[in-house]
Formats: sequence, C-alpha cells, structure tokens
Amino acid sequence: MSIPTTNNPLPITAPAGPALKLAILSESPADEAALQVLVRDVLKQPFTLVQASLRARGWPSVEQVLPAIVRHLHFNTDADGLVVVCDSDDSPVHTPAHEAPSYHHPLCRICRLRAAFRRTTRNLPPAHGRQRVLRAVGVCVPAIEAWLLCGRDTSVTEQAWMAGQESGQLPYTRRDLKWRVYGTERPTLQHEMRRAVQEVSRWHGDVRRLENDFPNGFGALARDLRSWSEGRAGL
Amino acid sequence: MIAAVRFKNFKALRATAVQLAPFNLVLGPNGSGKTSLIQSLLRLRTLSGLATGPAPALGDATPGGPEIEFSFAAPYADIRVALGCNTDELVCNLLVLDAPPGADARRAELRAKLQSIRAYLFDHYAMAAPARASDGAELASNGGNLAAVLAAWQANHPAAFAALQAEFVRLLPEFAALELRPREGGLVELGARLVAEGGHFVAAENLSQGTLYQLAILALAFAPQPPAVVCIEEVDRGLHPRTFREVRDALYRLSYPKDTGMDRAPVQVIATTHSPYFLDQFREHPEEVVLASKRGAEATFERLSDRADILDLMKETHLGDLWYSGILGGVPDGGV
Repeated sequence: MSIPTTNNPLPITAPAGPALKLAILSESPADEAALQVLVRDVLKQPFTLVQASLRARGWPSVEQVLPAIVRHLHFNTDADGLVVVCDSDDSPVHTPAHEAPSYHHPLCRICRLRAAFRRTTRNLPPAHGRQRVLRAVGVCVPAIEAWLLCGRDTSVTEQAWMAGQESGQLPYTRRDLKWRVYGTERPTLQHEMRRAVQEVSRWHGDVRRLENDFPNGFGALARDLRSWSEGRAGL
Repeated sequence: MIAAVRFKNFKALRATAVQLAPFNLVLGPNGSGKTSLIQSLLRLRTLSGLATGPAPALGDATPGGPEIEFSFAAPYADIRVALGCNTDELVCNLLVLDAPPGADARRAELRAKLQSIRAYLFDHYAMAAPARASDGAELASNGGNLAAVLAAWQANHPAAFAALQAEFVRLLPEFAALELRPREGGLVELGARLVAEGGHFVAAENLSQGTLYQLAILALAFAPQPPAVVCIEEVDRGLHPRTFREVRDALYRLSYPKDTGMDRAPVQVIATTHSPYFLDQFREHPEEVVLASKRGAEATFERLSDRADILDLMKETHLGDLWYSGILGGVPDGGV
C-alpha cells in the first residue's frame, strides 16, 4: 500500500483507466439488474462489478450493513465506488433543502445513507491506491416499480408521491405499482428481473425523463455517479 | 378451500380458531399448535375417506372431549365438517359432515378434495436413497420416493418433468440435468449431471441436503396433478436464506396458479417455519402469516394482518426482526 503525502495525495475521484470498478448494494436481484443498466446509462462508460451479489434485506438492513460493506470494499477490493439504492417506502423524500451544508434529515434515507458513508470513511487510511471508495446513493420513491413505470404511467412521479404524503392521500401504494408493472401482486423473482430490465432498457440509455420525474431519489444517484466521471475527467 | 378451523380442547389448542388463506405461513414456538393444525387436517383427510352414518352431535358422542370444526370457502361454504376426538386428545374418530338438502354432489366433491390433503416433512436421507420404481404415483410425506416420482413424471408427464428440470438447473446452475437411473431390484436412483467436469453424474446421496430439499419443493410446485391442500413443515429446512424468495415463488405457484399463467385449481398451502428471514418474504402480504402463540399450556392463533398496527410496525423494522423481538407474539415463553 502506498502512503499518500501532501505533495502526492491519493485520488478521491475515480482513477483514469478503461473501466470503473464498482459494487452495487440493493434490496433484490431484480433491483440490481435494473441498476446495472441505469448505472451504465448514467456513466456512459463501461464498468465492472468487483463484488457481485451484495444484498441487503431491505430497510433498515441497508443502513446497518453499509459500514461493513464500505470497509470491506475499501480494504479488501480495488473497487472505485459503491452504488447504494433502496426504497423510500413511507419515509420523507430527499429534497434540495437536504443538500444544504451540514443539513441532515433524520428520517430521510438518502441523508442517513450518506451519513453512514461519511462516518465510515472519515478515518479510514488510504488503501489500494485511493483515498476512499466513491459513493453513489439513490432512493426509489416509493419503490423501484415507480422508476420502472416512468414515462409509461405519467401519474407516477416523485412530485405526485410527495403531494400525496403532504395531503395524507397517497396516489398509489406499493401493491398498486407492483400490479401495474408485473400484472400480479405476487410476481416471481424471475418475472421481476425480466420486467425490470425490459423497462429500464426502454429508454435506450437516455435517463433524462427518469431524472426529471424522480429528481430527488434518482437525480441524487445520477449526480453522484456523474461526479465520479467529472472528477475523473479533471485528473 | 378450507376457510377456517376452530379448535376446542385439542391438545394445546384449548379454544382458538384460525382463518386460512390460499397461502399460509405459520410461525410460533415449539408446542404452540403448528403441527397440531396440520395433524387435524390429516385426521380430516383420513376420516373423510370413511363412510359416515347419521351425524350425531359431537358433544353427545364425546362429552367433554376435543372438537375440531372446519368451514370451507365457496362453493362449499354451506357444508360444516367437525371432528370429535377421544378425551386423551390423541385420536379423533368421529366425523360429522352437515350439508344442506340437495348438496350431495358438492358434499361428495368436497370429500374427494379432503382426501387429497397431504403433509410433508422432508428427510434428505430418505430422498437420497434409491426408491422402488413402482412407488412413483405421488410424493411420500418424507419425500422418500422422490426418485420414483420423478422417474414416473419423466415417463408419463414429460412436460412437467421438463419444467421441473428447467427450474432446477436455473436455481442450481452448476447442474445441467437431472437423471434417473434404473437399479437392480426394481429401484430407481436419482442424480444430477454437472455442467463442468464433463457432465459428471452426482448421485443423490452425494447431493447437498439443500439441493434435495429444493428439489422436493419443486416436485410439489410442478406436480402435474397436485393435491387440494399441501402442508409443509419447516419449509426453509436446509436452505440458504437467499433462496427463500425462490422457495416462496415456488409455493405461490401452487396457491396462485393464474399468476404464473397456469389454468388449474389453486392448491391451498400451509407451511411452517422458524426462520425470521423466511418470514421477511411476506412483508407485502401479512394476511398470509399466522402466528401461533403459547401462554402456559394454552396455544392460540392470530393472523398477522389482524393486528391494526402491523403496517406501522413494519415501517422501520423487518418483519422477521419484529417477530423475533417478541412484540408480535409467537415466541417462546419464559424469557428464552
């Protein structure tokens, strides 16, 4: 392991090279299948998975297991970054107000996951030639099926969900969304994976509509991912 | 098919009832009545196969004795079936079957369905052994004739065998195919061919426990002529937690055939588990979860969706963790 000096700091952005090495932590194999497509579409460059089959059992295990996964990736792999995506369920949606310096919403899952990342990486020594594992955090509002319906069902947006939370009249439930995507409340995992990849492939690499309709949950993820590339371009 | 079972003085089930859905996951501590529920169904099966005489009142026939009453979903909702048991609580020998006048055909139909109730507690040692080829009509309660059943499917229901095999190699991609080999003495041996190592044959006795348990569950899920009711004890036995979603999917295939594009009658499933991880698979469907609780010597059933606060409780915690914590009930007494 090389030791960084003030004259020769290790990078905190993605290293130059042919392909990013990243890991994806999500709640199910179907989510992961969709995320692999979405991450590729946002990064617009190839990547390799350094640690296949990371999985959390849903909230709150995503948050609970995240520190251990970050440490593992940092010390035991040469991963450039970790993509973490979970469902918001009924939690408050991340908004631009949460992006203010030092702001932390105690119930917002993006704020909480970012905080867990910060706490974990703060005192880690450099390893594998980089300062830390890069972070990309997104939250599906309220579940990934909403992202899958983007552009197909115009009533499904973050704005509609947030308005529903405010009024106490949610526009749809997770069960509704499952039904709309899978045609059943009890899809098999295989069917979920097939439909997830079908739907995210529908955009042919252009995620602008998804970012427009889900500016906080998906937008946050996309901005994190782009920051990796931007940092890389600046190296 | 079975809408509810009401118990009175049957083992630890002193005075309780359970509503049954197409799929039911039953959890609870040891001795809380999970197996008793299944035993009551098996007794119902046995007695429904016997001829019945005039229906006596249960109380007269077995004064003070245990009683079990069953009610059914449409089209059998107007038929009442009850079992009367000896006071030693072990043997139920009296069947009362009340049907309205003119319901003879439906009553006969219901009796036929009741006779197809099956219960399983799989035993990987039994499943690994070669089976008598002539014993392949249906899966035995311990899965001990798995090889014979699959050989029979291969011969008589090739589409069902092909579907099961396709699912098996999808779930366990290290294998390329299942293979049934005739053995001396009219036996048949089960094994699987590896994808690697030149397609090496692995005999069932060398397959992992979990592989055999998965195969047994697939044998239920893909059965060409499944029973009306399937009970499975310790459904998660020997399986990796990450396979639980696929196990749930396989069981849903029985209970909700239309969801997987099949045109056959639903099979009612009653499965038991002690695994919080398996319970987590039912976060979206708490109405499918039954908690069995024991207080002192008395056990009761409660459907999870009957708790008014269950959705709120699940907001910040996994369902399995909630159960383990004890706030839902269905955990051992006495600080264990």
